[in-house]
Amino acid sequence: MVETDFLVIGGGPAGLSAALEASRRGVKTLVVDEGIEAGGQLLKQTHKFFGHEGFYASVRGFEIAKEILNSLGDNVDILTMTTVTGVYEDVITAYDRNADKMIEIKPRFTLIATGASERFIQFENNDLPGVYGAGAVQTLMNQYGVLPGERVLMIGSGNIGLIVSYQLLQAGAEVKAIVEIANKVGGYEVHANKIKRFGVPIILRHTIKKVVGDQRVEGAIIVEVDDEFNEIPGSEKELAVDTVCIATGLTPSIEIAAMAGVELQYIPELGGYVPYRDENMRTNISNLFIAGDVSGIEEATTAMIEGSIAGLVVASECKKLDLTEEIASMKKELSEFRSGPFSEKVRSGLKKFSIDYPTYSYRDSVQRQEPPKGKLVPVIECNQAIPCNPCQTSCPTGAITVSGNINSLPEIDYNKCVGCGVCVMKCPGLAIFMIQENAENNTDVVVIPWEFALPEKGEAVIALDKDGEPVCEGEIFKVVKSSNKTHLVYLKVPTGHGRSVRNFARLQREDNRYVCRCEEITEADIEKAIEQGFTDFEELRRYLRLGMGPCGGRTCRLNALSILARKTGKKISELGHGVFRPPAMPIKFESLLKGEKSHGE
Amino acid sequence: MGNDYRVVIIGGGIVGCAIAYHLTKLGEKSVAVFEKNYLSSGATGRCGGGIRQQWSSLNNVLLAMRSVKHFERFSEEVGMDIEYKQGGYLVLSYTDEEAVEFEKNVKMQREAGLKVEILSPKEVERRYPYINTEGVKMATFCQSDGHANPHLAAFGYARASQKLGADIFTHTKVVGLERLCDSRWIVHTTNGSVKADVVINAAGAFSREVGKLAGVDLPTESYRHQIFVTEPLKDFFDPMAISFSGNYYMRQTKHGNFVMGQGDADEKAGINYSVTFRFEKELSRKMARIFPFLRKLRIIRHWSGHYNMSPDAQPIIGESPSVRGYYYAVGFSGHGFMLAPAVGEAIAEMILYGKAAHVDVSDLNVQRLKGGVVKEKNVV
Amino acid sequence: MHRRIFSHPILDFKRGKPVKIYFEGKEIQAYEGETVAAALVANGIDVFGESYKRNRPRGFYCAIGKCSSCVMIIDGESNVRTCITPVREGMKVARQHGRGDPKW
Repeated sequence: MVETDFLVIGGGPAGLSAALEASRRGVKTLVVDEGIEAGGQLLKQTHKFFGHEGFYASVRGFEIAKEILNSLGDNVDILTMTTVTGVYEDVITAYDRNADKMIEIKPRFTLIATGASERFIQFENNDLPGVYGAGAVQTLMNQYGVLPGERVLMIGSGNIGLIVSYQLLQAGAEVKAIVEIANKVGGYEVHANKIKRFGVPIILRHTIKKVVGDQRVEGAIIVEVDDEFNEIPGSEKELAVDTVCIATGLTPSIEIAAMAGVELQYIPELGGYVPYRDENMRTNISNLFIAGDVSGIEEATTAMIEGSIAGLVVASECKKLDLTEEIASMKKELSEFRSGPFSEKVRSGLKKFSIDYPTYSYRDSVQRQEPPKGKLVPVIECNQAIPCNPCQTSCPTGAITVSGNINSLPEIDYNKCVGCGVCVMKCPGLAIFMIQENAENNTDVVVIPWEFALPEKGEAVIALDKDGEPVCEGEIFKVVKSSNKTHLVYLKVPTGHGRSVRNFARLQREDNRYVCRCEEITEADIEKAIEQGFTDFEELRRYLRLGMGPCGGRTCRLNALSILARKTGKKISELGHGVFRPPAMPIKFESLLKGEKSHGE
Repeated sequence: MGNDYRVVIIGGGIVGCAIAYHLTKLGEKSVAVFEKNYLSSGATGRCGGGIRQQWSSLNNVLLAMRSVKHFERFSEEVGMDIEYKQGGYLVLSYTDEEAVEFEKNVKMQREAGLKVEILSPKEVERRYPYINTEGVKMATFCQSDGHANPHLAAFGYARASQKLGADIFTHTKVVGLERLCDSRWIVHTTNGSVKADVVINAAGAFSREVGKLAGVDLPTESYRHQIFVTEPLKDFFDPMAISFSGNYYMRQTKHGNFVMGQGDADEKAGINYSVTFRFEKELSRKMARIFPFLRKLRIIRHWSGHYNMSPDAQPIIGESPSVRGYYYAVGFSGHGFMLAPAVGEAIAEMILYGKAAHVDVSDLNVQRLKGGVVKEKNVV
Repeated sequence: MHRRIFSHPILDFKRGKPVKIYFEGKEIQAYEGETVAAALVANGIDVFGESYKRNRPRGFYCAIGKCSSCVMIIDGESNVRTCITPVREGMKVARQHGRGDPKW
């Protein structure tokens, strides 16, 4: 039997935040989590969070998990690979699957922070392997480093669908399309723009009708829908995909709360049945709290704030502390976060629990200055009121302002801007670029926030617009690496294109330009090996088997040498020619034996 | 080039690279490798690539068994696919005396924990219908033996050690070693000089010369060995086939080519990179008889390398008893590739912990050669 | 097809020691710390078994131990949720066809 002050069920953003606030104030806390490591969804989030820098804005989710875990002190014990299986009259039980045994827990206070589960949708063959939830894809891809497939169809354009699509691109998969049943994108525009500029289409008013395949997904048929979401016959289209990723929403994981006797209410705005709670995150049972997605589907920052509130309330009661101010300030934080248009659903849902938020005013439209020609300055393409302000707080010269409420749109004063690019690296939505029109020699400069494999300085690329359409040719002339992994890529394009170029595609040399026919080694193979460091001709030959085929290197030797010379900037004569070995043509064993007799015969 | 290292390794073959890898993996980042030519340019890149555990001396068996453990995880651990295949070594005997020896060896090998089978000529024929067993008295077979691509193995170790912090300098020849009064070394190279606490001779065919730089007399001699390779066929030939009494070895590479060679008792000591047609004729005559499918196959490339022989055909490994801070891993006698992973590990452990932790190599230092030698017989 | 992500712009995958597991008798490569499901998918194996009523192919689905879509027979034991079961050297993994077998 484990006795503890505070049992936290679920070590995700809400649970860990609660554990942090409570344990910091002396509350003995036990966190029980099912995962191989604690952190919940944070572990799978590779994007930078919105919000303000006091609440981890511009920090990537998995790094937030690390930060919180590192700041938990001795008062916290974490049991991973352990699932709470029941809230019984006598005890709460958990199953430790590592030790294969049950644990009985008697806490004074409990927080249920069990998160959410994914909604499954119905279409033909939706049970085939290759149809996965977005959370499963994230687990596999971002925790275990394994891709579920190569060509993905994403169902749903909410923030999860958009974010996971971007992550799939980063991991090297192809996202064929995102289909969205509604007539507009569900998630943030800035998230949508991140994938649109890679040419991934978001197909509105469409849904998936059927998966094709026998043993696993081999394709998917999508169909257009009318205003009532009815399929329009004859509008079917087949996409060649091997994976269908479903991101059509979440529903609170209420099982444990329900077993514990918490009142449930059906509130569609919060994602389905939700446990009752008050402003302090307390349920109808006085020592039982909930926080995070289980209390209503929202996102990780508000889950962390809710968890913090619960943790503070538990600390104040468990340790008899006056934390009125701290609790009030967290609540204010929460109400500010929830003041924007994207929180409208949550606000109306919470009203049903009599939780009301004041209305805040924020600036939701802005006439931004024209960027001055000839000067390298940021252009801010953030046009939706979302709670986020790192552009303002990171700007060293105070050129960017998010005035009043955090949901306000940022404004920029080009007189104060020095073109340092910090805002471009910080912006969680990757919605800030820099341009310099009429830079020099009839070129414009575009600076792109880049979270993919870095291009090389001097590399020729195809410049793309915001929809991933080719605009013109460009050249990479500078790459600034950033420790937060949003790097800056400086691109030169012909004058007049600076305003439209928002991305670039690296020239993919066709990989069927053969240098060595015997061993089927292409120009790209050779270039890749040289980039890996095989710059010594002899090592390069042996690494790739260049010249080890029956032709003895006749076809490839000089070509390989000239590629090596080009890549390394050396002269062919400096590189040497490698050795030549007999026989100069392939000779059969039996032909050899027909020649002159061997010695001694 | 840094100018101060804890460990300097002379030789960028499989042995030098394996030592560099194991040192850096165990946390010693201050490591430099000097290779006078390119990586794997010596015997490593010229060898047959076999990985065998069936030896007549227990030391070699144990070292080889430990190496196989490393080869089995090489691709994952080091991050390079080295075309490793455990298709077994089929060791064919053509004399009664050798057959008796083999039975003794197998007993010893089995006691060391190796799974070895004794096969009758009939059984050999049943398993490998493409081998002509005429004259074969018996054979032994160990499934966990195999082969790999030695270039890639050396490159893999080199790259991985560089990632972990080692510096590797190719086309940089060590031309002098100077002892300082604080017992450190100055290593003079064709591209400048560096200081080092420890110098390791992993110079393969050139081990004796590199020994002399430090005043250490290593009783090794290098002998040319020739080898050739055929055009590829479909992959069907699983084992490495070898015979000491028959004097040959052959394997099929992952790419389908057959690599084969034999020893030559008339070879004189010394460095010689040329090749002889006599070798091609003799070996093709013999091999076409034993492996009839070769008759129609073409030889595409023929080259030579060197066995750095020790008096008992076993490697010489350890720290010089007379010159402290000078280590060597030399005299592999044609078997450096297959023993390198375990030897690299042992040398790294000796330097860092004073003693090899996985395989006892204390019998392999140069002192053993003072009295009479017991020669390793399983050598082609 | 190789599905393991070896280079990633944001994440650094620290894989554990390599281990071998056996899928339907065939040796496959896995890494300590990863789940059986992850190892199978990484090796291009998407079909983990067969449903009991209609014999439909089954693979992983939720990846967090909830849905039981991924159950397989591991070392003779049926109904093991492979998406939350870490690999172990020498583990024998087999497809589960329908209901698990009793074991005594």
